[in-house]
Amino acid sequence: MGMKKQHIGELEELVLLIIILLGEEAYGLAIRKALQEHAHRTITIGAVHGTVNRLEKKGLLTSHMGGATDSRGGRRKRLFTLTTTGKKSLKNSRDLKVNLWMQIPELSLNLGS
Amino acid sequence: MDANSRTKFEPWIMKVQKPTPPKLADWLLAWVCSEELLEEILGDLHEYFYDLTEISYWKRSLLYWFHVINFLRPFAIKRRKFQIPLINHQMFSNHLVLATRLLKKSKLFAFINILALSISMSVGILMILFLSDIYSFDDFQVHKDQIYRINTHRVQGTQGREVNLITSSYYIGSQLRTQVPGIERVLIMDADKLVADLKSTESAVAINGRYVSSSFFEVFSYKLLKGDSLNALSAPNGIVLTESISKKLFGDADPMGQTIIIEGKSDKKSRIVTGVVEDPPLNAHLQFEVLLSLHSLDQGIIEGETDGRNEPNATGDFYVYLLLAENTIKENVESAMVELIADHNASLEHPIRHTLQPMNTFVTSDIYYNEVGPRFPQQRVYIMMGLTLLILLSACFNYANLSLARALRRSKEVGIRKIAGANRFQIFYQFITEAVVIAFLAFVVALGLFFLMKPEFLNIQNLATQGQNIFSLDIDSIHIIYFLLFAIAIGVIAGFFPALLLSKFSAGNLFEDTNNTKLLAGNRLKRTLNILQFALSISLVMAATLVYKQYEFSLNFDLGYRTEDIVNIPINGDYIELLESEYSHLAEVRATAKSSMVIGIGGDGLSGGMIRSEGQEKPRPAFTGFVDKNFLEMQEFKLLAGKTFLDPLVDGGNTNYIVANEGLLKELALGTPQEAIGKTIFYNEKKVRILGVVKDFIDIGLTKKIFNSFVFVFPDGLEQYRSLAVKLRSNNLPRTIQKLDKIYQTLDPIHPFEFHFYDDQLANNYRQQKVIYKLISYLAIIAVGISILGMLGMAVLTTESRIKEISIRKVLGAGVANLMLLLSRGFLVLILLAGLIAIPTTLYLVNQMVLNEFLYKAEIGLIEIFSGFAIVLAIGVLTIGWQIRMAAIKNPVDLLRTN
Repeated sequence: MGMKKQHIGELEELVLLIIILLGEEAYGLAIRKALQEHAHRTITIGAVHGTVNRLEKKGLLTSHMGGATDSRGGRRKRLFTLTTTGKKSLKNSRDLKVNLWMQIPELSLNLGS
Repeated sequence: MDANSRTKFEPWIMKVQKPTPPKLADWLLAWVCSEELLEEILGDLHEYFYDLTEISYWKRSLLYWFHVINFLRPFAIKRRKFQIPLINHQMFSNHLVLATRLLKKSKLFAFINILALSISMSVGILMILFLSDIYSFDDFQVHKDQIYRINTHRVQGTQGREVNLITSSYYIGSQLRTQVPGIERVLIMDADKLVADLKSTESAVAINGRYVSSSFFEVFSYKLLKGDSLNALSAPNGIVLTESISKKLFGDADPMGQTIIIEGKSDKKSRIVTGVVEDPPLNAHLQFEVLLSLHSLDQGIIEGETDGRNEPNATGDFYVYLLLAENTIKENVESAMVELIADHNASLEHPIRHTLQPMNTFVTSDIYYNEVGPRFPQQRVYIMMGLTLLILLSACFNYANLSLARALRRSKEVGIRKIAGANRFQIFYQFITEAVVIAFLAFVVALGLFFLMKPEFLNIQNLATQGQNIFSLDIDSIHIIYFLLFAIAIGVIAGFFPALLLSKFSAGNLFEDTNNTKLLAGNRLKRTLNILQFALSISLVMAATLVYKQYEFSLNFDLGYRTEDIVNIPINGDYIELLESEYSHLAEVRATAKSSMVIGIGGDGLSGGMIRSEGQEKPRPAFTGFVDKNFLEMQEFKLLAGKTFLDPLVDGGNTNYIVANEGLLKELALGTPQEAIGKTIFYNEKKVRILGVVKDFIDIGLTKKIFNSFVFVFPDGLEQYRSLAVKLRSNNLPRTIQKLDKIYQTLDPIHPFEFHFYDDQLANNYRQQKVIYKLISYLAIIAVGISILGMLGMAVLTTESRIKEISIRKVLGAGVANLMLLLSRGFLVLILLAGLIAIPTTLYLVNQMVLNEFLYKAEIGLIEIFSGFAIVLAIGVLTIGWQIRMAAIKNPVDLLRTN
């Protein structure tokens, strides 16, 4: 595999940001809750798992199994952290957008209010 | 009420300490989900479930299920081994090649299987289209799933039997409109049709119309071509015509705003055309030619002028349709209706109950009083589905059976494949592919057969209880998907058992001993299925004979009067006497008679009256027939005593005399017919004298008897007469009918000339039985055909595999007859067992479902009982005997040498 630049989607970007935000406690259901709280996005648990799974395959995330609680029936959580590639692609994505924003002349952004 | 139910359930909630997530959902997830992901997923889901504390248990479970199902995504699903060959294109095409080679190699096997499967699949195709016709009924209604009809359930009559009505009351409809939320529109339709003549300045036409409230076009989606859908039916003097009626009355001119005269039996009204609607589509349960505003009746109904039609009790008078708002719950409206009539029910011995019937069950409903539109009862749908399924399974079984019998030969092939590295699933998959290929070939043949059968099937007669035919059996694009799935399903079902069994063998076993007992493992199952297959054939043949016998019996039943050569002509006007005198001049006409009804054809036109003898207090009901003086003579009613109305004493219409039947004498205890003559009784509280007594006769039909007493009255006016019976003596019937038609046209230009041969009308009474008989006979032929093919295949294979045995026995001196008995013994036992199962079951079922409707039943003889058994046995002996004989007469030396 060559070093293709990883393209990330909007939801993926949000999930990556939220994982950083959550720090040590970034697992499926917590990510879902944070998405609801900070981004007002309600998605199914399955969709969260699907997204992190995809991100891990792309090499943007790593994971390890962590603490179990009673309410989980003694099952462990999978905790996620960003890889360097992950962080880089977040930064790329931000740079790209900032760049684009800078190029838009002030006047054409007339939103009417 | 709500609070009550909550307290009732609380203790139960308390007991469950900690509700757990639904086990089944977890189990499903564990089954499909890949193992390395399962722990974290289940953990998250459980945590999620316990986080939801605010809402009820079932809502949590529902949400839980939703999230579990949502996990059925590619990333989470377990990779199973067998997914590889399914996707593998090469292996599939290899299997296809093998399947075609196999077909070419064993032509007899292929022929038998394809033929049997295709015959049964043609029935399957028919059934698919049949079901889709039924369930797409009223599909043009945009609000189909929001439209409901109010049904009524109440005890009527003295026997305390609950009857179910499709109608309900004006009261409940108008109360719902104002009192209950969640109902968008209420549509009330008068149960009485308007049957009248419509006249414009240019022409006239006879029509059937409906009185409906102004919400008609908001509830239903009949297409209004002209006029305003909100107001077309709100003016009391408005009338909406269908396109074809508009054409008949006004040609191509614009009918809007034109005045129309409605001429009913007794009155004349004028109306202004306020709309033109497209003719109702054929798959609409409600058919009409004109629509009138119910407002013209409203005032009278509300003020209670018209016989208490505004009472909650008048449940036979109106159809009430509701258009519910999208989130309205049906049960809430039903309980609201309980409240609305609670006061009224309090005064009744048997309360009235109203329920809502959703529109998608209108055609298949079992509620049948006051029905509107065609109906095909749900029970009958199930029976037809069941029989189709049995026939399909029977053909699938043939396939499985023949494949298993051939398994011996193919076991070596399987062994070699396994040694070459094929796993069990690949072998299984190969055999299933073979079966599916055969099923697809059979499907093509079946489609051809279906097109041959289709006109025949549609011609049988109207399969619905009344109204227009439900079935068109047209193929739409959606059906192609059904057909594909159907063919695949048949292939999989047929191939499943052989594939399972053959793929089970291990390579070593197969070569060790070809008579491996494992190969015969399916033997007991096979025999059972064989018996069931024969039993199905026997049973269907028997059922067809039984129903046919009853049908014939009913047609030839002595009704107590004669109907030969009589033509009945319905009369819609005051010209009956003129018509009669014109007709009686014709040489072909032997006699004529006027009457209010036609007797024996289902109660058409029979009216009722109350009778009591002088000493009795309480009057009893009796049927009344208004007839002229010739009627009883012409139809040759058997006079037991006294005279008919031909007696000069009666002199042209005299309601002081009646002719009674025997039943009336019994009911009023008037003694023998001779003693009763001249006695007076009260008929509708009027003193009348008994002029004559006729022998009891069939007044409605063989399936129904309502009252025991029958009264013939000779009225002094003409207004009671609705039918003219004409007895003919002609050899050239078409010409005579033409003559009758011509005379009729001069007297009644509005109503088309209708004539019915009395015998046809009688036969029509039993058309349901005829339909059943015809359908069952087709199925019987098909079932027998399939079992013959199965037997043929089995016979070929048995003799083939036992050829050495046969030859050696022959060398040792066994005769042909001897051999045949030896080889066919096993199969004879099977047919015998099948007969033992089929005969009593069929007798019971046919009695329950068809014959018990009849008050007079045909005697069931040995012929009917053993018909099916004998036919299957005879055909079986012929098929198998022929095959065995072929083997038995061959020279054993030739057969043994080749081995």
